[in-house]
Amino acid sequence: MLEIKNLHVSVNNNKILKGLNLSVNKGEIHTIMGPNGSGKSTLAQVIAGRKEYKVNKGSIIYSNKKLLELSADERAKQGIFLAFQYPVEIPGISTTNFIKTAVNKIRESKGKKSLDAVSFLKIMKEKMKIVKINQTLLSRSINEGFSGGEKKRNEIFQMAMLDPKLAILDETDSGLDIDALKIVAKGVNKLKSKDNATIIITHYQRLLKYIIPDYVHVLIDGKIVKSGDKNLALELEKKGYDWVRA
Amino acid sequence: MIKDFTSIKKNIFKETNSILKTKKTKVFNSLDNVLKTYKEEYKYSPLLRKVSKKFDILKVDSYKEKKKNIDKKILNQYKNQYSIITINGLFQKNESKIPSGISVNTFDKLNNTDKKIFHKFFNNQDDSKNDIFTSINTINYKESLLIKIDKNYSKKNHINILNFIISNSGESINHIRKLIVSNQNSKSVFIEEFISLDSIENFSTSVTEIIQEENSEIEYLSIQNDKNNFHFNSINISQKQNSISNCFTFSYSGAVVRNNLNIKLKEKNCYSNMYGFYALRKKSHVDNHTTVDHIDENSISNEHYKGIMDNNSNGVFNGKIFVRKKAQKTNAFQSNNNVILSDEAKINTKPQLEIWADDVKCSHGCTVGQLDKEAMFYLQSRGISKEKAISMLLGAFSEEIIEKIENQFAKQKIKKITYKKLEYFTS
Repeated sequence: MLEIKNLHVSVNNNKILKGLNLSVNKGEIHTIMGPNGSGKSTLAQVIAGRKEYKVNKGSIIYSNKKLLELSADERAKQGIFLAFQYPVEIPGISTTNFIKTAVNKIRESKGKKSLDAVSFLKIMKEKMKIVKINQTLLSRSINEGFSGGEKKRNEIFQMAMLDPKLAILDETDSGLDIDALKIVAKGVNKLKSKDNATIIITHYQRLLKYIIPDYVHVLIDGKIVKSGDKNLALELEKKGYDWVRA
Repeated sequence: MIKDFTSIKKNIFKETNSILKTKKTKVFNSLDNVLKTYKEEYKYSPLLRKVSKKFDILKVDSYKEKKKNIDKKILNQYKNQYSIITINGLFQKNESKIPSGISVNTFDKLNNTDKKIFHKFFNNQDDSKNDIFTSINTINYKESLLIKIDKNYSKKNHINILNFIISNSGESINHIRKLIVSNQNSKSVFIEEFISLDSIENFSTSVTEIIQEENSEIEYLSIQNDKNNFHFNSINISQKQNSISNCFTFSYSGAVVRNNLNIKLKEKNCYSNMYGFYALRKKSHVDNHTTVDHIDENSISNEHYKGIMDNNSNGVFNGKIFVRKKAQKTNAFQSNNNVILSDEAKINTKPQLEIWADDVKCSHGCTVGQLDKEAMFYLQSRGISKEKAISMLLGAFSEEIIEKIENQFAKQKIKKITYKKLEYFTS
């Protein structure tokens, strides 16, 4: 589904990714772990289509398409979803309106009819249950005045609404208390299917108690230096990143 | 530029009312002085040269009361609404629909009591001593209206003031003039529009004086949405005790617009809100000049203007707050926020404060910025195109002003116009 080869990326002339390789297939959950500043979020943003990140070398093939040639909204229409590490607050646009616009733009691109208000509301109510998010929150401006946990749940809620093929969760677990963490994890597990794939970016293995990854990769200094199964995460937790560096 | 004003002297001779003649003569005699202040007042809008090249701005079109028809389709948009209608500055009584509790008449038709009211206030509140276009309007207007709102009037429904301009018979210079007297305890809502009915460029001035008696409340919206109009608008409000004014100025891509909004808080406990929103494209030029003068104590003024400039458009904001020595316990706030979308667009913004009293709370400030890149990426990452994301963010930017409109009909109307306009901002 996703094939990243020898990816080199820089921001403001700082080289961040330095020859990253990653291959993700349908139905798989991949976890990327690594110390601060290793390039985890950069990878997430590059896949989602952030323009400020400059790709100097390498390629990303997604569902047989050259991903780097597509704009961010085109990638979303192709089924890529990024749950932001820091969801943006946008005063003046209601969350519901925003999600409705997004859902319908994606439907339009697939030649499907736009959802009317009634059927949109029906789907929304269903998905709201998954992440235990309430309607009053959704009628407010996008993320404005949301608590940290509410912002993260809103991200997973959007993921549920947009039903992506490839979801990237960028430190969705950070800043969450244990109850919120469980809700988020439950949401991710519920949305998982044999046709979609998930990349989870995280510092800690605590989310992995609730979401069992098929692969764990360690990203250090812009490269994946070690890959393994879920046991690698446990080992990292015990021994720290210096163990892989050595 | 204008050097010689003698051509408009004959309009003063034509004036048959002696009181008006005296007032107009005074304005005429101060024209040279007004021209001297022009340079400062129009520093970022050198418009006099521009319009005087295109139009013979001192000229008065010779028609009077010629019957004109407005397309039914256009009037149908305002069906079942109260409307005061003018064509080329002349009041159309038969086309207008005026609620009970409000009287609208031209000066010639006023009874003696109303004439006295008219003389008491007319030309006493306006900025004819500072603004050349108001001066020209005061001398050259053909018809002036007195709109009188009775005591305790409080119909919730808005009243449109529709100023139609028809230039196709060569009448491209129009002066619109009115005096609104809002009596004690009255509460009213006006939506004023300027609408050219053909695609010929025209020059118009509009001067409005509003007198607010004690405890009166007025919501006054002015919409400028006409690309053929070189428009100079001056609204002057004078407030007595416990009165409230809510003024809104909405300007969209037009040729050239200058708005003067002058508010005098003459007595205690007045409240004044001044809100503005401008969204400009191509070569539009919109200049908002506001002054609020706190004369007595314990009043509040609150001003917020927001604007978007794209392409080669040009915006100007100049807000002045005066707090006189007697005006202790004043609260005065002012801010102006701008978004610039292109390298060629321009905004000149100048918030100004002059305070003589010592026990006051005042603030002023301005910002100029661009669209938030993080927010753009967030929207786009959810499948929303760049163009749609821009218009959504600009719409959100306008919300802060639009949501302040109290009258629900007016709010929905403005929202619709604004969002439609913002769809074109895609650079």
